Amino acid sequence: MQVVDKFGSYVEKFSNTSPERARRLLRTGWKMQNLRFRFFANKELMSADRYLARLMMDTMLKPLQNPESSAIVSIFTPCEMIHESGLNPYNVEGFSCYLSASKAERVFLQQAENDGLSETLCSYHKTFIGAADKGVLPKPKCIVYTNLTCDANLLTFRRLADMFEVPSFSIDVPMQQNEDNVAYVADQLRRLGDFLTEHTGKIINEDKLKERISRSSRTLMNYRRFQQERADKYVPADLVSPLYAGMTNNLLLGTEEEETYTKMLLQDIKHAPASKGKRIYWMHTIPFWSDAVANELRLNKNAQIVGCELAQVCDMELDPQKPYESMARRMVYHALNGSVNRRIDEGIRHAKEAGADGVVWFAHWGCKHTLGAVQLAKKRFEEQGLPLLILDGDGCDRSHGGEGQTATRLGAFLEMLGGE
Amino acid sequence: MNKTCYICKYTPVELLEAFGADCSNLNEMPVGFELADQVAHPNICGFGKALLESVMSGEVKELVLVNCCDTIKSVYDVLEDMGKLNFLYLIDMLHTGDSCSRERIVYQLKGLARAYGEYSGREFDINAFRDAFQPSEKKSEPYLSVLGARMGEELFRMVEKAMPFSVKNDTCVNNRSAGTIKPPQGVDFDGLMDWYAGELLNQTPCMRMMDNTGRKQLYNDPNLKGIIYHTVKFCDFYSFEYADLKQHAGAPILKIESDYTVQSSGQLLTRFEAFAESIAPSREVKEKKMGKGYFAGIDSGSTSTDVVILNKDKEIVTGIILPTGAGAAMGAERALSEALKSAGLDRGDIDALVTTGYGRTAIQDGDKSITEITCHARGAHYLDPDVRTVVDIGGQDSKVIRIDENGAVVNFVMNDKCAAGTGRFLEMMARTMEMELDDMSRTGLNYNEDITISSMCTVFAESEVVSLIAQNKAADDIVHGLNKAVAVKTAALAKRVGGEEKYMMTGGVSKNQGVVKTLEEKLGTSLVISDKAQLCGALGAALFAVDMVE
Repeated sequence: MQVVDKFGSYVEKFSNTSPERARRLLRTGWKMQNLRFRFFANKELMSADRYLARLMMDTMLKPLQNPESSAIVSIFTPCEMIHESGLNPYNVEGFSCYLSASKAERVFLQQAENDGLSETLCSYHKTFIGAADKGVLPKPKCIVYTNLTCDANLLTFRRLADMFEVPSFSIDVPMQQNEDNVAYVADQLRRLGDFLTEHTGKIINEDKLKERISRSSRTLMNYRRFQQERADKYVPADLVSPLYAGMTNNLLLGTEEEETYTKMLLQDIKHAPASKGKRIYWMHTIPFWSDAVANELRLNKNAQIVGCELAQVCDMELDPQKPYESMARRMVYHALNGSVNRRIDEGIRHAKEAGADGVVWFAHWGCKHTLGAVQLAKKRFEEQGLPLLILDGDGCDRSHGGEGQTATRLGAFLEMLGGE
Repeated sequence: MNKTCYICKYTPVELLEAFGADCSNLNEMPVGFELADQVAHPNICGFGKALLESVMSGEVKELVLVNCCDTIKSVYDVLEDMGKLNFLYLIDMLHTGDSCSRERIVYQLKGLARAYGEYSGREFDINAFRDAFQPSEKKSEPYLSVLGARMGEELFRMVEKAMPFSVKNDTCVNNRSAGTIKPPQGVDFDGLMDWYAGELLNQTPCMRMMDNTGRKQLYNDPNLKGIIYHTVKFCDFYSFEYADLKQHAGAPILKIESDYTVQSSGQLLTRFEAFAESIAPSREVKEKKMGKGYFAGIDSGSTSTDVVILNKDKEIVTGIILPTGAGAAMGAERALSEALKSAGLDRGDIDALVTTGYGRTAIQDGDKSITEITCHARGAHYLDPDVRTVVDIGGQDSKVIRIDENGAVVNFVMNDKCAAGTGRFLEMMARTMEMELDDMSRTGLNYNEDITISSMCTVFAESEVVSLIAQNKAADDIVHGLNKAVAVKTAALAKRVGGEEKYMMTGGVSKNQGVVKTLEEKLGTSLVISDKAQLCGALGAALFAVDMVE
């Protein structure tokens, strides 16, 4: 732990005087971590999750190694098109998580606030903006983002485009679910194709895109099957694997690597032992840095996380013959788009499929969509026989912690569920 | 008949009026969120909670919302579930103004027309639709503009009262410009809706629109003499515009934040008055005759009341610091008589008396009252004319004031309601550590471990300190961590206001050596600390008193 503290303090220190050096240090530190994942992986985890940790780290390293071949994206941007244009997704939420895991987030959060951005802005956005402002994060080729499902995207990505002076493309997703809106988004995605061609020189090959959509569809179905099959099995879970899955199931959707991961999950689950301990389904992001949460739920046979809503992207089968409409439909019908009742319904269904005993609704500081629905969610989940804990905290910024409160709330909730 | 309330400028008000609706912009600030807090998380924006409060108290029966932001979308979900409204509708307004989205907006308009028609049992009246459009008058005179997140009626009236120019409310819904041009003649309903969608989309964009370059017209007007930039706690949209605008606005800016309650607005009055003083300094009108040639300034603060008496050559005759005690007026009276006694003077020897500080208006005896911001600036300039930035950390607030070569205020910022970064924060932490404040001032100077107190919130910071004590961390290290927390907050304020050297520190916390040292490290410069630092506000007030006499 002390090594990480030291590492973070050097990244912070260099970010004030020599941002290039801070970036080099980040790249080296993350490469070392990747080697650790490869040769000293945590044997308690399933092989699929060990593979996932490496996959995620590779995804984070690519933009640091080749920023000119990377596009800054928001988490729900359909990345099949980004990959098809030869670009690496350079993801805001992912980078902020990794900066926080490197204990280097404080100086970047402060930088954003010093610039005048509000303290209440989501810390994933603030950390990335602060790190970009300080020159630690490199300039991308371009930016592609969507208002799905966070309205802060409209501000953050525009600011990043101005700051890096790079072209940007925004995908406007209406909140109502109907075929006209699918067509409206599909048209935008076709225009995104032109935008990417203009800036990369690479024409998107429609046949290959169809192949990718087909792979996306298989990947999502595999993942859903795994979630269903785990219902009576014990899967050792840490706090980061469900988050990694949330990131890669979006950012790497349509890639062979992500399909491999879901195939490995289906293999691993066949050999998993019978279920033990209390099973928690997690709504929204996970404060992986919190010792209070780790004490209760990290690799713990008495209680473990059995699913995270961010990883369950879409339950519909995608039609590869209509790639643009398929991606558009995935966005328009996304569980987090439109009325929060849709999100709650999907959460209830997925929690039940994974055999959850209880649900944590993580009220991440700054996420108005999640905060606004807390009481509705509590009512609706509990009507369906799923006890729900509203847990206040922050997925990225330690200063919004209140570890004592987290420990008491989570501990009491698990006791209430009858855990040990 | 019920009013049909709306909250967003993209609301098709004229269409609703064509169905006989009586539309009203819902913009009142509640006293508190007693009802809303039962159904919403405390960390959603105050306006969202105000909306819930209005519906739950039964004031609103018909409400047309727009999917402005995640908070409003959530409020809609909660209200729909509650089922208390006679009519509730959410318009899915897109984020771009191109032809495709215009088509989608027409679809939305028709949906609303259908729903409201069915609810009200009335039909679309073309004449009522046309009558709903009224041309607006554009004035060309010097004015101030309130920009940013929506400002409630009560707060806006307070701004109008405090400012020396007329004030325009250009926040959020209040700069609605649709509805001023008459619709074209001889066009059918479909054609009218297509035209109307264009009118709605072509307004000055708000920050939720993907292309908002059109907002520049709001602050590029030559008649604009100043900007009051308002943000609502937990609404993040407008802090982005502020962050950009503060770099290049042609007019002076005052940044304020409210939580959309009447209660929070009261605390903003000092800032309004100080801003008004800085944009229209009082004219050199000599209101008093010279008598014995003595002038007094009283700074009535939350912790202490300070008095300075000057002679006609602006030399300090005496300076007194006393605890404020129970009431500002009594405290001021006591401090003034102590000061007079120490100078060997009578009340009648004082030709002019200016009051400042939180309790300034409660003191009846003064000839004039000026905010502590303007007074601190003047006092600091007197103590050291090279000072350009004053950092004042007092008992209940902290502020950073940027001043020009004459001691006039160029810009200032104050901390928000939270106690973090103020003297009160240190007092609470000293109590937790069972230490006297004086001991605390020296304790953090020789630290070994560089501890970071990460919690922003004073209450959480206190529990962090308790757990550090439990871990047997050295007192020096913990206090240094606390000093750093205050210094980081203060340095952030200094950066926001564009602080420049030389820096002077005033207020009670300037006596805390540990905070001074860490703040110097954070700012990368040394702080001027005068032995009269605590008297700075009273001194400024006394200097203004001298100005009042011929």
